[in-house]
Amino acid sequence: MQDIICTFCGSVCDDGEYDLEKRKVKKFCKLGSSKFAEKERIKAPMIDGKEVSYEEAIEKAVEILVNAKKPLLYGWASTANEAIRVGVILAEKLGGVYDQCASVCHAPGTLAMIEEGLPGATLGSVKNRADVVIFWGSNPMEAHPRHGTRYSISAKGLLVKDRKQRKIIVVDVRPTKTAKIADMFVQIKPGYDYAIISALRAIISGNADVVPNEVGGVPKEKLVELAEIMKKAKYGAIFYGLGVTQSRGRDRNIENAIKLVQLLNRTTRWVIWPMRGHYNVVGAGEVPAWEVGYQYAIDFSRGYARFSPAEFSAVEVLLRKDCDAALIVASDPVAHFPKMAVKHLKQIPVIQIDPFPNMTTLIAKVVIPSAVYGIEAEGTVYRMDCVPLRVKKILETNYWTDEKILEEILKRVEKLRG
Amino acid sequence: MLWIKNGIVVDPKNKINAEKMDIFVKNGKIVAESDVKKEDCKIIDASGKLVVAGGVDMHAHIAGSKINTGRTMRPEEMRVVRNIAGKFRATLGRVLLTAPAIGYEYAKMGYTTSFEAAQPPIGALHTHEELDSIPMIDKGALPVFGNWHLVFKCIEEKNLEKLKALVAWAIERTKGFGVKVVNPGGVEAWMYGGNVKSLDDQVPGFNVTPREIITWLIRANEELGLPHSVHLHCNNLGVPGNYQTTIESIKLANGFRNPKRQVLHVTHVQFNAYAGSSWRDAASGAAEIAKVVNSMDNVTIDMGAAIFGHATAMTGDAPFQFSLHKLIGARWSNKDTEVETGAGIVPIGYLPSNPVHSLQWAIGLELGLLVDSNKVVLTTDYPNGGPFTEYPYVMAMLMSKKMREGELKKVHQYVQKTTTLPSIDTEKTLYEVIHMTRSLPAKVLGLENKGHLGVGADADIAIYNLNPLETDFSNEFEKVYKSFKTAEYTIKGGEIITKNGELVKEVFGKTFWVDARKKVDLEVIMPDIKEYFNYYSVQLGNYGVEERWLKNPSRLEVV
Amino acid sequence: MLIIKPKKEFEVCIEAELTPELAMKSVEEVRKFKVYYGNRVVELGELFEVVKEGEDKKLVLDGDFGRVKWIGTRMIDGEIVVKGNVGANCGAFMRGGRIVVEGNADDWLGIEMAGGEIIVKGNARNLVGCAYYGNAVGMTGGKIVIEGNAGNYIGEKMNGGEIVIKGNAGDFVGTEMRAGVIEIHGSCGFVGGDMRGGEIRIKGNFDLLPTFRKTEKGWVGDVNVKGEGVIKTF
Repeated sequence: MQDIICTFCGSVCDDGEYDLEKRKVKKFCKLGSSKFAEKERIKAPMIDGKEVSYEEAIEKAVEILVNAKKPLLYGWASTANEAIRVGVILAEKLGGVYDQCASVCHAPGTLAMIEEGLPGATLGSVKNRADVVIFWGSNPMEAHPRHGTRYSISAKGLLVKDRKQRKIIVVDVRPTKTAKIADMFVQIKPGYDYAIISALRAIISGNADVVPNEVGGVPKEKLVELAEIMKKAKYGAIFYGLGVTQSRGRDRNIENAIKLVQLLNRTTRWVIWPMRGHYNVVGAGEVPAWEVGYQYAIDFSRGYARFSPAEFSAVEVLLRKDCDAALIVASDPVAHFPKMAVKHLKQIPVIQIDPFPNMTTLIAKVVIPSAVYGIEAEGTVYRMDCVPLRVKKILETNYWTDEKILEEILKRVEKLRG
Repeated sequence: MLWIKNGIVVDPKNKINAEKMDIFVKNGKIVAESDVKKEDCKIIDASGKLVVAGGVDMHAHIAGSKINTGRTMRPEEMRVVRNIAGKFRATLGRVLLTAPAIGYEYAKMGYTTSFEAAQPPIGALHTHEELDSIPMIDKGALPVFGNWHLVFKCIEEKNLEKLKALVAWAIERTKGFGVKVVNPGGVEAWMYGGNVKSLDDQVPGFNVTPREIITWLIRANEELGLPHSVHLHCNNLGVPGNYQTTIESIKLANGFRNPKRQVLHVTHVQFNAYAGSSWRDAASGAAEIAKVVNSMDNVTIDMGAAIFGHATAMTGDAPFQFSLHKLIGARWSNKDTEVETGAGIVPIGYLPSNPVHSLQWAIGLELGLLVDSNKVVLTTDYPNGGPFTEYPYVMAMLMSKKMREGELKKVHQYVQKTTTLPSIDTEKTLYEVIHMTRSLPAKVLGLENKGHLGVGADADIAIYNLNPLETDFSNEFEKVYKSFKTAEYTIKGGEIITKNGELVKEVFGKTFWVDARKKVDLEVIMPDIKEYFNYYSVQLGNYGVEERWLKNPSRLEVV
Repeated sequence: MLIIKPKKEFEVCIEAELTPELAMKSVEEVRKFKVYYGNRVVELGELFEVVKEGEDKKLVLDGDFGRVKWIGTRMIDGEIVVKGNVGANCGAFMRGGRIVVEGNADDWLGIEMAGGEIIVKGNARNLVGCAYYGNAVGMTGGKIVIEGNAGNYIGEKMNGGEIVIKGNAGDFVGTEMRAGVIEIHGSCGFVGGDMRGGEIRIKGNFDLLPTFRKTEKGWVGDVNVKGEGVIKTF
């Protein structure tokens, strides 16, 4: 089967080939291929570790959710839009909290967008036009292995024909794999992205004289050099990652970078975009935005959406013990959340919907296994640049899709709630 | 089955002007009296009430990536609560609205069809996901062609057959409805940091001009016989002095003829009707434009009226959006899209104390008043000019000079010398205003079963608590405004969906799309498309929307 | 004066927009005041003991109110004393009156404060006297005093009023500030990013941004916005 779409990272490569006989996918990177390889699955729905039917597990889940004063519905980044939409409507109906994985990775980008907007482009624009690409706090060679060949480093574009016509710059706190293949590497002191970006803005807008000899571990001359490259670019792109969103400065780092890009657009063309991690974390934010107005950290206790990351991000909700039940869909908070947050998660009834067992499965009271989107189920996902792609069903399965499970839950909740 | 009794019907398509008439509905369609069993009918007593077709919004930004980016950027817009979750969905939004809110608010107002005005082709599936999440209304989307490299190539080669095949292919792939053109050539120029300033500027990297882009697309559109005409957002939007570009663009329709409808629809003309040379001496060019439009019989426009209050500028005109950001210092989002198009979003507002905003407000109204009523559709280019929920304000203003006089006292006096609005005595009739909001937009789009109440029409009906035979539209403008804000009944496909502004039933409408593939030989363009897909970031096999992915598609085949 | 005491440990947070106005009502009315307990609307009396002592326009919140949010929202006069910690959004949109928190405060203290006084004897968390998500202007008047430490985002988009932090603060003190005064007695991180006006006084260490000019007044900037804000030590 041709044109297979990968459901691992935010690159969502769509040029895969699936060999139905060998049951293997070709052309994808190691990360993508691992997604398509045979893996351990949750065999059947379970309540308290005992196998039950889908219907029984769903009934129990509904009972838990409807009796909760504040259920947390979290995850969503590794499932399709069709399921996410039902999840959002379910959270609204339950009067609970909807939050998604971005709250622990790229939410700062959303906060920055609220402050300044987002001057961006699709990956195809970068592929065709960008003669300068900066990876800031991002290491695609490890986290998004084919991003470079498909879109940003050696991709063959219309105006920028190949690697030689592109200048690749890495700004990071240590020499990464990507830094090693870059044309220029700027090593910065951890925690000083914000100051360095302010310095670049000052240099570019003609106030270089105010900037001291060294900012954030970078000598002024290097900053001036970087500023010159940026000014001379015909079309530049900054791709940023968790290096800046999850380190000191967070949303203000991105906001500052956006202001830098605004400034550059007065004399040349620049765009900036986040290197999203999960294959549909963008969908996990876009779907609630059109359904209820916001991308994450949404509370429905009052019967309508309220947005407050400081209060309603899953970690914040758990740290304040502000939830008494949780529905975790396509995610593993037990593995990734801070200890104190996980502590509360262990004390409340947890329902998990996921194809694969993980650390969260171990503490879940109700476990409902689902089909894998992109292999066993068709669905719509949004690539890191919000380009929509329809992942395919390649193999048959008896597992229910996330969408079907959530619809059955929603149906029963609507019946109880009226 | 429905029997709407004793209503006072205004149905311009069928030349009914405030006649007491019964309307019969069966299986979602308007039928003759002889086709229903009166005993089985649900009766709505519309005595003394105005009965019209459901409103048709032919140009609004209601679904897709730029609308969602607008929402995400503006939590302050989303904090207004309209409906608390219960039997129906919670809805939020001030001027920007969530998808459920869009559906409910149109319905409460008596509008039953709305078209997304600009769909980026590669993002078509996102547009359709959002359209599918909007309840109540029927919808469609217009993919954009004016900056697509593939379009430029066909025109460079002067190959009309290729262009026709491309258009048919693209509309099918995007499940779109027609040919939208936004700042032709200008968005490609923006990829280099520039814009185009005249119809004869060369588009960077290509041997084409905006004039050629528009003219060739009109040719292709007309030979294909698509239901809708080319729908044009002119070059130089928002630039003082641009009314001349608009007039030049309008004149490109010369020589084309279509018996059913216009050959060119120019959109949100208010933003393209400025005289003067800068914002310091900007004035209205509406009268000049109106003269030209009135003298032609193959061009229509829509107003793009500005309403005082909050708004969000969101268009595919990326360079304009950047200039707006620079001009007012507001937040700015941008999305260069593959080799197809671009988009930009900037939060804005219109204040009556601001001379420029007042000028814009006046120009929108001038266009509505000066242009013949069979050539101008009522819109606010939602959300660029303002909320669609204020269409009733525009309707009342068009019908009442007294209301306009009152409003003119509240706005900046700059409009006195720079527009003709204070001196316009015209009061459009109810018949005309219903035409401008129902039958004309349906005709412009080519939707035969919308915008009227004749037998065979879709049973999309609005009943207002307003007796046209006893209302003094010139003086009772407050009452007129209030009546049109909230329909007494809104009926969609024969079902009552709202009553007195309260939601009665949630339904989901159809998504219209046009299939013109039988009119072309796709093989003529496929080699070019395959070659060009080297420069896309997705596979050709993964490009486009399949009909079965849409909730309720309605295919209009062109033969 | 009303004395309000939690009856039990709460399973989830409570949202209770309690203001001194409540002290003007009878105890029965106060007990019926609606609060949010997760997604349940309940009466204040179900979760709290209410006692009235005298006619002062004063609330004494006696106990751990650390998971009770929105205390003092939009208050215009009177006094609230919290004998313990207080939850998020305390003193939101406050226009007058006085709030004293004897314990610690949570995030979003004094959102867009326009007048009055907030005193926190313990520590505050993030977002002190800031503009709410997507809003253009933050604090415009009044005074916030934190005896202990505070977190990140202090007085962002401030356009008037005063914030005093006796301990340390984190990053983003006075970002995009236009007027007003922020005083940090301890140390803090990034200060005055994109500041246009106003004054920030710091006693301890801080991270000066590379966009401020040294003058006799202190450091003036942020040059990136042609700002004339002043940062000085004391």
